[in-house]
Amino acid sequence: MQTFRSRLSIAVAGASALALAAVTGCAPDPAPAPAPLPIYGKFDPTQTRTLEGVVTKLDWRNPHAHIFMNVVSDGEIENWAVELESPSELHLSGWNGESLVPGDHIVIEGPLARNGSRQIFGHSVRRDGSSEQLFVLNPDLPLRSSESRPAPRWPDGHVALGATPDDTREGYWGYPSETALVEDGVDVSMNVYGQLADIDDASRVAPMQPWALALYEHRQERFLQDDPMFLNCKPPGGPRQYQSRLGLQLVEDLERQRVFVLLGSGNHNYRIIYLDGREPVGQVGGDDDNPLYYGRSVGGWEGDSLVARTVGFNEDFWFTNGGLPHTSQLALTEKFTRVDFDTLRYEVTIDDPGAYTRPWSASWELSWVDGTELPAHICQENRP
Amino acid sequence: MRARLFSAAVILCALALPGHTQEGHPLKGSWIGEWQGNEVHDEFVVVVLDWNGREITGTINPGTDNIAITSAELNAEDWTVRLVADTEDASGRAVDYVITGTIEDLELPNRYIKGTWQNGSGRGDFEIRRQ
Repeated sequence: MQTFRSRLSIAVAGASALALAAVTGCAPDPAPAPAPLPIYGKFDPTQTRTLEGVVTKLDWRNPHAHIFMNVVSDGEIENWAVELESPSELHLSGWNGESLVPGDHIVIEGPLARNGSRQIFGHSVRRDGSSEQLFVLNPDLPLRSSESRPAPRWPDGHVALGATPDDTREGYWGYPSETALVEDGVDVSMNVYGQLADIDDASRVAPMQPWALALYEHRQERFLQDDPMFLNCKPPGGPRQYQSRLGLQLVEDLERQRVFVLLGSGNHNYRIIYLDGREPVGQVGGDDDNPLYYGRSVGGWEGDSLVARTVGFNEDFWFTNGGLPHTSQLALTEKFTRVDFDTLRYEVTIDDPGAYTRPWSASWELSWVDGTELPAHICQENRP
Repeated sequence: MRARLFSAAVILCALALPGHTQEGHPLKGSWIGEWQGNEVHDEFVVVVLDWNGREITGTINPGTDNIAITSAELNAEDWTVRLVADTEDASGRAVDYVITGTIEDLELPNRYIKGTWQNGSGRGDFEIRRQ
């Protein structure tokens, strides 16, 4: 799978004395942003504008920050809302809630809202009168050591999936090499949100039943704007929890024989993989039939890989970026292999006879982000 | 008249509630609405549908009439639906329903099916909304 990865430049440069602002027309199509939100469901990348105006407020809240600005157009003042990345993403790039203050003169470039409202996504934000970029939101993997380091191990010899007690630094797994499910061996082009470059490729993505393919195409044709993870803060269950560059932590509780999967995106949830030999059924009498967003996971070690089996999913969420459907018959087999200190290979087999014609597999890698805790992006208040 | 008022009240309440998200098979779930002009089984109708990976199954008015759906088809090319159910009226006379419609607002949790119902002696508009 090819992904459109490019750098989102959000820049704030030197001040300008210009007091009035104006709508200045169309700008070149900016590169897709690596936002955790499929922004093109809300914003149209084919309709971009450049706006000059005066900041009236910076709304620094999860899951997406907003700049409100006054723009003068044909002698009338218009109030525009500029949507930005999440505060956690912006913070990693040097922004904070005081980076802009009311009265600042700024120039925005980005795609306009599809519904015609005065909303624009801020692919580029700079101070009026300067092209200097002070801050750049960089989705690329942080520099890693040039030396390949072996995967750490616990005293009993098995590979540590996260930080070990003798590590002095924390870390997490992020920056997945793929951000949407595509069957291994299939080469289709899609962006980081799982939006296909060519809708005619839909049937190649996975072996879908006719209804599932039609539903997938419908979601794609609507630019993924109906994604319940963003509309309603629904959890990123299934393989989707490994598709966010905001990542996850794998915390092993050796004594209690379980692995906690702590998510850095979505609604900041967690999942447990039990390694104590139990069956994947409800842990409280009577809830065995209650389907869950993360299902029920059990697993064990096969060599240096942790293999988890998960069943018991509900159908209230999208289990991957891009909108491939699943049903409650979904059974996942996941294989986690820490190839070296900085690389986690994730392999998943999807067995869902409710939506697919046969079991199929996908795989990708995540990178170790050293020396930091999980980002604190939290979908909240159903505020897309 | 009371039945109409009851039906309207139930439908209004249903419309006011946010739908439970259902992102799997579009027909799976509970649907509430009306088959207008139905003098055999009242105008208020509840349909419960399921999908097992091979076929759609379901029941009309579970708990009261318990009308088993004998055939259910979804054409995903245009999202048209055809439901067939066989039952009896109070006198024991066979009543065979054929319901045809189209899923509207497919992407919404409270999507609905709009079409017509008919049996040997009657027909009318049919509309049910997913709960």
